[in-house]
Amino acid sequence: MTKDLHDGGAFSRRSFLKGASAAAVGSAALHANADAHQDGPKSYAQGAHAIALTVNGKEHRLQVETRTTLLDALRDTLDLTGAKKGCDRGACGGCTVHVDGLPVNACLMLALDAQATQITTVEGIGRPGHDHPLVLEFARCDAMQCGVCTPGMVMSSLHCLQTNANPDRASVQRAISGNICRCGTYGRICEAVAGAAKRMQGEKR
Amino acid sequence: MRPFSYIVPRTLSEASIAAKKPGALLKAAGIDVVDRMKERKHDATELVSLLPLKDRLATIASDGLGVRIGALATLAQIADSKDLANAAFAALRESAGIAATPQVRNRATAAGNVLQLARCWYLRSSDLQCLHGRDGTSCLAMVGDNRYHSVLGYLDCVRVHPSNLAPALLALGCDYSTELAGKTTRRPLRDLFPTEPKAEADEHTLLPGEILTAFHVPPQPMGARSAYRESREKLSFDWATTAAAARVVIEGGVIKEASLVLGAVAPVPLDRPDAAKMLVGEKPSDELFVRAAQRAFVDARPLSHNGYKPQVGMAVVREVLHAVTR
Repeated sequence: MTKDLHDGGAFSRRSFLKGASAAAVGSAALHANADAHQDGPKSYAQGAHAIALTVNGKEHRLQVETRTTLLDALRDTLDLTGAKKGCDRGACGGCTVHVDGLPVNACLMLALDAQATQITTVEGIGRPGHDHPLVLEFARCDAMQCGVCTPGMVMSSLHCLQTNANPDRASVQRAISGNICRCGTYGRICEAVAGAAKRMQGEKR
Repeated sequence: MRPFSYIVPRTLSEASIAAKKPGALLKAAGIDVVDRMKERKHDATELVSLLPLKDRLATIASDGLGVRIGALATLAQIADSKDLANAAFAALRESAGIAATPQVRNRATAAGNVLQLARCWYLRSSDLQCLHGRDGTSCLAMVGDNRYHSVLGYLDCVRVHPSNLAPALLALGCDYSTELAGKTTRRPLRDLFPTEPKAEADEHTLLPGEILTAFHVPPQPMGARSAYRESREKLSFDWATTAAAARVVIEGGVIKEASLVLGAVAPVPLDRPDAAKMLVGEKPSDELFVRAAQRAFVDARPLSHNGYKPQVGMAVVREVLHAVTR
């Protein structure tokens, strides 16, 4: 047993969950497309459906149930585990992603509703070998303790900087007011966002 | 969430027909609906999404005779709308702009905010049966922990109306439009709420399949202003403990017209015409506002755990009247 646990991730909680969800989808009848009735509206029956989601600029084909949230689709199917499932009710902000450029709670959005939108997760905000200034500043300011809120904080802060290149502290506080940090690192997060704003202005020059 | 089928209507009449079926539930962004379904408070077998109709239903536009707010306009859209930039519409921007969190405001819709289920912890629990919706035999909040419940206008169910936007829309004298079976109807917004807010009645007066399509803000005269203030326990992601929206028209330093609507203290957003009437013909003063606030809560009947509400509510009324006449 000890060997398995240390066996280079041969079996992890994540791979177990992935296997379980694949089995669940496999056992349901897969509807290739939503049914379009000539005499009524298009409908997606209970069960699995193949849809496309555009995440971080790349189109993914995946199977979701009608009840699958965007958060579960990202984490359990696309393996994008940056967005966190904290409260799963839109109260903590851990699942914050951008949909068409706006921060939203992925846990309260059905994956079906996210079709034909541009989704950006925390995994998509830097370039390979070139971390986003926010990421660098969060690290430099040590703006986290446990780190669970960090991806959501980064996404809310990113939108703040996208709408205001030089935000004052009150604007940053407003921008992250939908994100809870139970470790209480808010002060350092505000410093990190201010630092990122400076860094980004420097990059433009 | 239990499994459900998901309907994508192409037109309002398709949405209306689909929503009439037993077990069907209409949703806009789904902020409240997804929450309720996760809590197993509702096990809809069919979810009818209005989002495919967003192009038609999500615009905010001045039409020369006022402003039309589409039912699917988001709270963020309302808070930042150029069409609502005038001081007369401030109550709408202020109430939309402090609801919930930035993430919620980016998706939550005007109609969804007004039609969300009451936030009573007894009626939202799938483990408890209360009088609301005829599930149980008594109002559990009436004798239980009722710190967030009604102090005014309640009958057999002490839930409060949770919408931020509704008091502001009412104070501005808005209408609402609905569509049912191809027929569009426009009525004053007060008609959307039951005159007798009984436990077994819906929290709104919409018929099965009737879809709220827009709010209409009437044109405002020169000197019109509005404001919204609320008390709450947290600065973010909280519902109001008391709320007040006010609209006045001021000419030559004298209040010519006034309306005052309370939120979060009764099962419906509560118009207080008697308190508003006290303001008409008077010059703004703190002494006047204190008297109007007392009038607004004169018939308050606090429950066992919410004796603070009339006191705090009066302070909020006083504050909103100062804000609207500043």
